[in-house]
Amino acid sequence: MTTAVAIDSLAKMFGGLRAVDGVSLEVARGERRALIGPNGAGKTTLFHCITGTMQPSSGSVRLFGNDITYLPEHQRTKLGVGRTFQITNVFTDLSLAENIALAIVGTDQRKWICSRPLSAFPAVREQALTGLEAVGLIERADDPVKLLSYGERRQLELALALNTHPKVLFLDEPCAGLSPSERQRIFKMIRALPREITLVMIEHDMDVALGLADRVTVMNRGRVMVEGTPDEVQSNPEVRDVYFGHV
Amino acid sequence: MRIYSVILALLALAAALIAPLVAGPFWTTLITQIYIYGLLALSVDLLLGHAGLYSLCQASFFAVAAYTTAILQVRYGYPTIVAAPAGLIAGTLLAVIYGSAVRTRGVYFILITIALGYIIWGAVYRWASFTGGDNGITNVPPPSVAGVSIASQTAYYYFVLGVVILCAFGYRILIRSPFGLSLRGIKGSESRMQSLGYRTTMHLYAAFVISGLIASLAGVLYVYYNRFINPVAASFQISVEVSLMAIVGGSGTIVGPFIGAGVFLGLRNWVSSFFELHTAVMGAVFIATVLWAPSGIVGFIERWRPGVGKPKDPP
Amino acid sequence: MHNGILQAINGVSFAALLFLLASGFTLSFGLMRVVNMAHGAYYLFGGYIGLTITRYTGSFALGVLGGGLSVIPLGYLIDRFLIRRTGESHLAQVLLTVGIAFVLGDVALKIWGGDNLKVPTPIELRGAIELPGGIVYPIYRFVLILFGIVVGLSLWLLYRKTQIGAVVRAGVDDREMVSATGINIDRLFVLVSALASFLAGIAGVVGGAFLTLYPGAEWEILIYALVVVIFGGLGSLEGAMIGALMVGLLDAYGRWLLPEFSYFVLFGPMAILLLFRPRGIFGREG
Repeated sequence: MTTAVAIDSLAKMFGGLRAVDGVSLEVARGERRALIGPNGAGKTTLFHCITGTMQPSSGSVRLFGNDITYLPEHQRTKLGVGRTFQITNVFTDLSLAENIALAIVGTDQRKWICSRPLSAFPAVREQALTGLEAVGLIERADDPVKLLSYGERRQLELALALNTHPKVLFLDEPCAGLSPSERQRIFKMIRALPREITLVMIEHDMDVALGLADRVTVMNRGRVMVEGTPDEVQSNPEVRDVYFGHV
Repeated sequence: MRIYSVILALLALAAALIAPLVAGPFWTTLITQIYIYGLLALSVDLLLGHAGLYSLCQASFFAVAAYTTAILQVRYGYPTIVAAPAGLIAGTLLAVIYGSAVRTRGVYFILITIALGYIIWGAVYRWASFTGGDNGITNVPPPSVAGVSIASQTAYYYFVLGVVILCAFGYRILIRSPFGLSLRGIKGSESRMQSLGYRTTMHLYAAFVISGLIASLAGVLYVYYNRFINPVAASFQISVEVSLMAIVGGSGTIVGPFIGAGVFLGLRNWVSSFFELHTAVMGAVFIATVLWAPSGIVGFIERWRPGVGKPKDPP
Repeated sequence: MHNGILQAINGVSFAALLFLLASGFTLSFGLMRVVNMAHGAYYLFGGYIGLTITRYTGSFALGVLGGGLSVIPLGYLIDRFLIRRTGESHLAQVLLTVGIAFVLGDVALKIWGGDNLKVPTPIELRGAIELPGGIVYPIYRFVLILFGIVVGLSLWLLYRKTQIGAVVRAGVDDREMVSATGINIDRLFVLVSALASFLAGIAGVVGGAFLTLYPGAEWEILIYALVVVIFGGLGSLEGAMIGALMVGLLDAYGRWLLPEFSYFVLFGPMAILLLFRPRGIFGREG
């Protein structure tokens, strides 16, 4: 199965508002896809429907050929869907290592163990530290997250998703609110991800989005407007209009 | 900091062991009561301090367990070896049924547990033909374990102390386990937990049932302590009071609920000896705690000596 | 057959009383996100004060009005200086307001004692009338139903058909948005809170005339109000109406048919409803 994600005529309505209005797209295995578009285009809502945070009003979502359209969120994660959130969603009262530990055991049966302390599983701690090292946060491993800066939390957000053993990673504005140097860091981290992981990324920073992507999908008003290589999309007059001209 | 807590724990244990010998029968009885209510408060805190759920029906499991044990011993003459486990099972079974409340969150969960609590209270109060109604069930005999009757106050004190210590150890493992961590994750951000692969409602359900088990244990211990049970044990007041104990003592810790029980029961005992409006005084304690000491006594100590109360190691 | 109708009237009259209490509770929550467990104590206190006023002045109407008005400053002070300090934490609100209810309950016990006290009703409302079919029923409870309908209608009109009602509805929907439009949301809170207190106080007097007032009544009535709100959904006025009817009728029939299990008759359907609609009939999602 070479198609990682196949979305067919997906729609999501909120009352009368068509947030996602018949979106179809396919992402190949190992591909890096950027999803761009003005605010309110429906990108995050589309992500919600794919990862299971919301259920679509109609249409379907297939992951490696399996229909996951109505599966609950936690089951999609088990099938390999990983996700970061636009608004940082980490566990502020726990330590960084505890955060990653939750991600690590989240997809297997160890999360149900109540008769042995977590410290009896040194492999989990090893993995957690490795995961933190990959995002450059290992020195803070036992600090509570509430002491972290915004940028550091964004890094943790990425680390959480990476440690759920994802096959397809959905990143929702990974660089939002970060300083230029922090953006560079995240950019490098994402670029270094192995090709076994398929990547779909919402991003407003054009340099990051176009610099990382193999293909770009442009959304506007709940629909797919244009799809193509970064060059094709950049030189497309309609896209320019949407971003710079009148909408 | 670890050495500090270990020394403190040993001192506390020593004090607990010699207490009946030096303090006399009044204190022995009171401290036994503190252990039992502390256990009930612990059951509330598993949900409150770790899973973030505020359950106000713990008294239901407490009472069902106590009544079951009492009725089996007094009315049907079953021995402790049958009555006590039956009480435990009955209370836990109720938690299995009531656990469907975890389909709700936040204020709805609170309201529903209040209502569920009233169902049992109403049942024990009105189903007088079975439960003795207002009069309750009296003349519960002392428990006999392995053929030995634990009749004296002092003997029962040590028995309860032993059970509570075992419980505390089990609880400690539970909250430091992956499952315990998952509860704290759910409390932090349920949406994040779901996206990490956790079926959060099931985790909360399991925690609810375990909490019911602990509350049931407290109920069985209580009925042998008091030798008498009446509908007050199932009241909303009890559920609220034990949640306050958990908070006053320090929510999220192991000793906190016990310290809170000590403070609350000690205070009430003292105040009611000279002031008739002791319910109002308890109400004032509620108000004061919420406004000025929401992290409780352990939280207060934490500020001066970080790490004293915290039961968790880094994973 | 006669008994069935009798119970229906019992249920509806109790529903009228419950609506008075539950409507304030649900709107307080809808607008201010406050769970006020002292609402039962407001009922009791207002009832006792109304009782005292009626005894001294001989006027039931004055008692009802006075009972309602007396709770307003009490409710205001509690809101402004205590509840406001709890922020959004429902846990803190529950603990705080339960504590307040404990204090109010004990103070009431000290002042009015522990006996069952009945608020004296005017002569015109005593006695019974005969209905078709030979049923004899107390006038008071009929008047209570009428009173409930009048209050319910007025509240509904206020809520659905007036400018200020629209603002309250908008506030229930989206509090931040309303204050962003420049409307003084604080003043709105005070208004709604005062109305809730007033209704609770009135309910106390009106209820005290046939249910009597006694220590513990504040908790008994509160649990009924909570079930009303659970059925009807927090924040919904219509929900409070429907919920009150459901609870009133279930309670009346439950007490008549299965007195030992009347709480089951009430809470059983509640539990089933919750399994399918955790937010209640008119509750909002999310």
